Amino acid sequence: MSKFTKAFLFASIIFAPFAANAVTVASWGGAYTESQQKAYADTYSDPGSIVFENYNGGLGEVRAQVESGSVTWDLVDVLPSDAITGCDEGLFEDISSEIASMGVPGPNGESIAEDMENNGLEYHSGWDCCVPQIFWTYVVFYDPDAFPGEKPDSMADFFDTEKFPGKRGIHTWATGIIEKAMVADGVKPTAVPTVLANQTGAIDRAFEVMDRIKDDVVFWSAGSQPLELVKSGEVVMAVAYNGRVGAANLAEGENFEYIWEGQVLDQEYLCLTAGAPNRDAALDFMMHASTPEAQAEQAKYITYGPMRASGIPIIQNNEPWGPGGVDIMPHMPNTPDRLKVSIVSDPQWWSDYGAEINERYAAWMAN
Amino acid sequence: MEVTISTAELLTTDGIPLKQSLRKAERRNKLRAFLLVFPLLLFIFVTFVMPIGDMLLRSVDDSQINSVFPNTFDEYKNWDKGADELPPEEVYKSLFFELANGDKRQIGKALTRMNYAKSGWKSLIKKTTREIKKIVKKGEEPVSYKDTFIKINKLWADPTYWYSFNQMVNDRSSIYYWNAIDRTFDENGDVAMQDEKRRMYMNTWLRTFKVSIYVTIFCLILGFPVAHLLANLPLRYSNLLMIFVLLPFWTSLLVRTTAWIVMLQQNGVINGILVWLGIISDDGRIQMVYNETGTLIAMTQILLPFMILPLYSVMRVIPKSHMRAAQNLGAKPATAFWRVYLPQTIPGISAGGLLVFVLAIGYFITPELVGGKDGKLIGSWIAYHLKTTLNWGLCAALGAILLGIMLIFYWLYNKIVGIDNIKLG
Repeated sequence: MSKFTKAFLFASIIFAPFAANAVTVASWGGAYTESQQKAYADTYSDPGSIVFENYNGGLGEVRAQVESGSVTWDLVDVLPSDAITGCDEGLFEDISSEIASMGVPGPNGESIAEDMENNGLEYHSGWDCCVPQIFWTYVVFYDPDAFPGEKPDSMADFFDTEKFPGKRGIHTWATGIIEKAMVADGVKPTAVPTVLANQTGAIDRAFEVMDRIKDDVVFWSAGSQPLELVKSGEVVMAVAYNGRVGAANLAEGENFEYIWEGQVLDQEYLCLTAGAPNRDAALDFMMHASTPEAQAEQAKYITYGPMRASGIPIIQNNEPWGPGGVDIMPHMPNTPDRLKVSIVSDPQWWSDYGAEINERYAAWMAN
Repeated sequence: MEVTISTAELLTTDGIPLKQSLRKAERRNKLRAFLLVFPLLLFIFVTFVMPIGDMLLRSVDDSQINSVFPNTFDEYKNWDKGADELPPEEVYKSLFFELANGDKRQIGKALTRMNYAKSGWKSLIKKTTREIKKIVKKGEEPVSYKDTFIKINKLWADPTYWYSFNQMVNDRSSIYYWNAIDRTFDENGDVAMQDEKRRMYMNTWLRTFKVSIYVTIFCLILGFPVAHLLANLPLRYSNLLMIFVLLPFWTSLLVRTTAWIVMLQQNGVINGILVWLGIISDDGRIQMVYNETGTLIAMTQILLPFMILPLYSVMRVIPKSHMRAAQNLGAKPATAFWRVYLPQTIPGISAGGLLVFVLAIGYFITPELVGGKDGKLIGSWIAYHLKTTLNWGLCAALGAILLGIMLIFYWLYNKIVGIDNIKLG
């Protein structure tokens, strides 16, 4: 054997295990992926076998990988509408039987699906290919110092610039804000998805409500911007991802107040790519990442709520759950009390009407 | 003795005719030269020609859905819309079987496509397919397929859903191009305006042009004096100044964009100074970011080096004696500049202008971050459809239109200035 061949063989023995077994998880990066690394990968039986990669959301890359036959991502962290489309199109593998048989049941024996239903969710086809992760929400927050007198505490207040003068920060796409406008119009939060789906003209009403504040809106497009806007006094209230507000309060010493009424909960899933190179290892990790314990663990590092209802009591009973002895529950979006005044965004409806409404929203913004 | 001049061919030492030998050597050289550039050709083909070809194909391709519903679409074309409000029984029947027997994933892809034609198709087909599978499982044969569909969901009696088939029934279709300019097909398959509330592509196109042209002009106005200064200063000063021009190149685009937000926002640096100087009142702070103004300012700054560098390299080689000679011959400085100096910088202006315009028209990150309300360009919508709606046909059409516009500008430029007039130095 030549020296080269020896070196080559040696190298393959050393590196082969890494190359073959590393499960690649595509996720959103930043503090969110960091929390996944700590809560899911570090607590896994073989932490070294999980590699996170950043992506920007959407199914574009997944579709390109699957269609070209060169799949490099085993798991993808996606929004529910993408979970539905990806599962329908076969970009994600249908593993409903594996989830049913291998999924770790909750403390009272509830299956993953039952546990999610206890959290106010309804079955959609994304559940066939994906396991639940966390609830994140579009929540309105403000700096209490900006309101020396009465403080805003409802969606009606958010859309009323006479009662609470000052600019509002909202995002440049329609998801979440449409639902909030419906609440400001007097619809009961939990009924918003039904009204949107069944009532003609509901969308028009939402846009009319949004018209009230349009001249006082600063539109943001990146998750860090609303925090900056409120901190610098550019706006008095803004819609933001609750995890960002939680991080500002817990880690940066801010004192922001949430308006939980009318918060729009959106889901997050971990899905198995069709043709994943490390399918079985990935499947095993999925089951680990969807236990109530792992999901509660994630709340330690980022204030997103477990999608399995049985994750909440774990946090509640072990407060202070956060690092450095802070209570996490005040920042959790899906406590039973808060769910009563929240909207659980309907991903099927958004995947039906999202494109059309976003075009309309863009036309509304610019005119 | 007679001297015979050989008329035979010249031979090389090994007896092969010289011509032939030369040709052979030449051919070998050509082949070698070709082999040398071959990797480059291949690279250009794979990374440039193929993707563009693929994009152009995708912008007119609707074959996937036609392979899923071939019979339904055939029957649909026989529907006399003047006579019946709803399609004939055969259409419902074909659709019934194509949904019952079709491959789940292929149907899944098809319904993503259908949803572009009319919002709501996705849920409607999914719910209906579930019910149809139940009927098939029971072994029942419906008496009327039409009634069965309408019983499953009353939307099947809504002709507007059926009209949207017009957008999909052809293998090759121009619908994506029409969608890209706010148009769609009506119930007769004729081009019609999109619903008024969602018309935004034409406005976005116009804004994209407007911003690109303004940015190019601003870059020229700002870049020309700078380039002139750089070209005429002694080397040790101009080198230092050059670093200031190049520095932004080495800074992350995101950092520069964010810096502009800090500068321009209402509680930002510029507004602060203006209020302090008493030029504007505290209540009258100007909104300079999260709108079109922000996009214009940030893009001008970011693209400025692309104007300065070509201008500089052209100006550097214009002899200083030209201006002096013109003035010696009696021209005023302004005339000398206008008639002698400026014409010689045209190649630089052209190169810089075209470069800035091309970059601006497809710009994405900066408008996305500072554009806010009305400062987003067409690139943002390409990204949106690529990632979120997966409407790659529309993406491709938007991209193809962008490419077409570039080619038109290039052609116009060639007609007016001449392409051989472009110079980077």
